[in-house]
Amino acid sequence: MNLEDELRTALRRRDPSPDFAARVLARVQAEPVRRASGAWRRWVAAVAACLMLTVGAAGGYRYYEGQRAKAQVMLAMRIAAGKLNKAHKKVQMLNHRSNS
Amino acid sequence: MPERAAPGAAEMEFAALVRQHQAMVFSVAWQFLRDRALAEELAQDVFLSLHQHLATLESPAHVLHWLRRVAVNRALDVARRRQRRPMVSLQDAPEPVAVNSTGDPMLGSALRRLVAALPEKARMIVILRYQEDLDPTEIAGILGIPVGTVKSQLQRALTLLREKLSRRLGEISL
Repeated sequence: MNLEDELRTALRRRDPSPDFAARVLARVQAEPVRRASGAWRRWVAAVAACLMLTVGAAGGYRYYEGQRAKAQVMLAMRIAAGKLNKAHKKVQMLNHRSNS
Repeated sequence: MPERAAPGAAEMEFAALVRQHQAMVFSVAWQFLRDRALAEELAQDVFLSLHQHLATLESPAHVLHWLRRVAVNRALDVARRRQRRPMVSLQDAPEPVAVNSTGDPMLGSALRRLVAALPEKARMIVILRYQEDLDPTEIAGILGIPVGTVKSQLQRALTLLREKLSRRLGEISL
């Protein structure tokens, strides 16, 4: 008896169950569906993320614009107040001269 | 869906590849894991992976080599993850029962049990050498280990198998 020959006989290839190939092909055909479904979910998530970013950015821009307008109004009021002060001082000075 | 109603040429070609190589892939897994259901599942996964990588494989020989390498690596992975059955060394493996003569199916069964009790690497080397008829250089390429290691592990495994069988058979030389 030759051990190596006996091993070759004992370890010879065996066939899987008769419907093995059919089951592999069924799984292969099911794969693209799962991939498409996964891709669809990824697209929805990406669009939702874009939407949230856009809404967030628009809100941020509106806030920034509001702050800028407020600053401009405050500046205009400060300038106007300065001018009014000057005019008031001039009027007081003229009144003082005419009285004296 | 139309593509499912009538399989295309690519699908028929893939089906032919499955039928051509299914015995090899399944047998590597089955001889190694000794679990038919697990081996079939592993073999299915290997062919699914082949389907995804088919475009990158250049020739039938490349396909065969790829399938063999992936089947071997996945079987080794499964065996490492599987803790269902503790591994025993060949020295501690139970003696085969009722081993008679050459050609006896009981001898084959006993040999398979002894091979199944080998440590993982040695077991895979024996399977690739005697099931797949690969030489040590090819086995070393698949397992990513030196050729010298393959040769020494193979010799050691054969010595242990001889001892175990001789003890049962009462033969001096095998």
